[in-house]
Amino acid sequence: MSETNSARVLLIDDEVAFTSNLAMILSVRGYEATAVHDGESAVRAVEEGDYDVAILDLMMPGIDGIETLRQIKRKKPLLEVIMLTGHGSVDTGVEGMHLGAFDYAMKPIDIGDLLEKIADAYQRKLLQEQRNGNP
Amino acid sequence: MEPQPESIERPAEASGPAGGRNYSRLYLRFILLTLICAIVPLSLLGWAAFDHYSDFSYDQMADYFQRRAEANRRIVELFLKERTAEISLVGYGHSLEDLKNRDKLEYIFRLMDQEGSYFTDLGVIDDRGKHMAYIGPYDLMANDYSVTFWFKELMKRGPEVYVSDMFMGYRKTPHFIMAILRREGDLKWILRATIQNEFLSSLVENIKIGDTGEVFLLNYLGVFQTNPRTGGKLMTNSDLPIERFTEESGILAWQPEGGGGQDRPPKQFIAYAWLKEPHWMLVVKQDYAEAFMEVNKANQSAFLLFNLSLLVMLTVSGVIAGYMIRIIQKRDKEADSLSEQLIHTSKMASVGELAAGVAHEINNPLAIILTANQVIRDLAQLTATLDQVFKERLLQLLSQIDSMVQRCNHITHNLLRFARRTKAPTQLVDLNESLKEVMDLTEKRAKTNGVEFSAAFRPDLPKVLASPAELQQVFVNLINNAIAAHGGKANGSIRINTRLAEKPERIEIEVADSGVGIAADQIGRVFDPFFTTKPVGKGTGLGLSISYSIMKQLGGDIKVQSEVGKGSTFTLLFPLTSTNHEKNNISGRDDV
Repeated sequence: MSETNSARVLLIDDEVAFTSNLAMILSVRGYEATAVHDGESAVRAVEEGDYDVAILDLMMPGIDGIETLRQIKRKKPLLEVIMLTGHGSVDTGVEGMHLGAFDYAMKPIDIGDLLEKIADAYQRKLLQEQRNGNP
Repeated sequence: MEPQPESIERPAEASGPAGGRNYSRLYLRFILLTLICAIVPLSLLGWAAFDHYSDFSYDQMADYFQRRAEANRRIVELFLKERTAEISLVGYGHSLEDLKNRDKLEYIFRLMDQEGSYFTDLGVIDDRGKHMAYIGPYDLMANDYSVTFWFKELMKRGPEVYVSDMFMGYRKTPHFIMAILRREGDLKWILRATIQNEFLSSLVENIKIGDTGEVFLLNYLGVFQTNPRTGGKLMTNSDLPIERFTEESGILAWQPEGGGGQDRPPKQFIAYAWLKEPHWMLVVKQDYAEAFMEVNKANQSAFLLFNLSLLVMLTVSGVIAGYMIRIIQKRDKEADSLSEQLIHTSKMASVGELAAGVAHEINNPLAIILTANQVIRDLAQLTATLDQVFKERLLQLLSQIDSMVQRCNHITHNLLRFARRTKAPTQLVDLNESLKEVMDLTEKRAKTNGVEFSAAFRPDLPKVLASPAELQQVFVNLINNAIAAHGGKANGSIRINTRLAEKPERIEIEVADSGVGIAADQIGRVFDPFFTTKPVGKGTGLGLSISYSIMKQLGGDIKVQSEVGKGSTFTLLFPLTSTNHEKNNISGRDDV
């Protein structure tokens, strides 16, 4: 459990209030949360830091969510990404899944559900790392 | 957003009741146009024919009249010639001695009489105008003829026979004389014979031409030499315009003087021919109207025919125009309903976009509210110093906020669902299932058309990401066409197969019918919009073209094979790209 809760989460959303609230919620639960507010900063953050799970809003100014996802995944393939959107476009979701996103959910997502998804994603990441570490 | 209602309003108006268009004016214009096209040449032709025919028939009639006059003149001339020949034979064949002898004269008179009793009497008159001998019914021996016009005329003349005009003379009946002046040495005497008016009259008066036609003789002064049927009496002046009778023979139309309006005497058509001797003319006369009755009748029937043709044209152009208007109306209606559909679709699309936009804009703040709520809840939990009652109340209110956010969430999701429906939402479709549904829907129709379905589905086909409604439309189109292809042909069958092809990897759906097939020259056009083999009004010709565009949008294709008389096979090809089938797991989540 302590392992799970030490996950480092990157929050990517142009809604500052959303990220700051979510960061508070996560840190209360033992996560280490960092917030960025556009695609470029997200890519930079992924380059510089080490994260386990990213929460990615698909609708952002500048480079959009899908493009951000693509770049992040290129840099850190093992980083698990949970896509969030206020828009119910299946196509974007499908595309994101293709690019290797862990899951896709619609805003406003229930906090409990989101926490579960983050936990699952982190589990998966740990599993992948284990597999890569001991082939 | 402002121009939106405008752009919707205008076509809606046009697509309203078809009466909104002025079809009756179009109808009238059609009729007018066809009538002008038909009447102008007809009238020209009619006028030309009428004009030509009128001239022609006038010439014919004139010629006929003139020849009639000339023929009658010949008869009169012949009669007179025979009589003058007799007189000159007697006059030159006998001496005064013989003729003075009453018995001898009587004998000669009898001989002449044998030819026909044309002569009333025969007399020999000396140069003082006294009868030397006379055979005849009248007592004329004492008369002095030296004062008569004919005696004076004869005395001036040469040896030829003199023929007088009609006159009354001593005997007070109309007659004319033939006489010759004879000279024997110093002796001058006259042989004179009388011909009663009746003989001459009988030659012309009995000739009847129609109801108003007549033939009569006039002398050069225009005095009747025979009794005309109308316009005068024997030996009276006729009112004919003899100053116009200048030719040897001719014709003219003449409007008699007198009367006015209704009483005006009818116009006359006259042919005349001058005799050589005496100076008479033969006249053939008829009411102009009667003479040209036949011509007029022909003209009348031509006129009737013309009017009849007009009537026929009017009817025909009316019928044709009506037919065309109906076609146009139908086309308009079809176009209207098509544009109505388009308008509806685009309207729904824009409403859908609006809804999606609103939902998205609201979803973001809702998400923030949810997180903020959670932060407060966390803070409340973590703050140990909080009053217990206050904390409970706070948590209660926080969950109320949560549930209200969920309520909003429902609304936005419904909005999004609606928005997605307006643009044919795609989802993973089990093609077998979808086909089965359509077959159930159409089976009854097929049965009533004597067509049986048979199906061979490959089980466990990968699902395809598509709009179920659109796929249904494609299937319904193909199956309906297949049923229609049998055209009531008994024992028809429609085979529907699904299969999974390997290379390239794709799903194939085959709809094969045993119908009439498609001709080779038409097979290339079956997917063209508005191409249809169905009777006018039965098919829009859009079914297959819509199916085609739906399949193309899916990245698929639609193919057709056909043999006339054996049937057609339509094949739908669904490509199996990873997009379509791999990630079935997302389908549930996005709809929430």
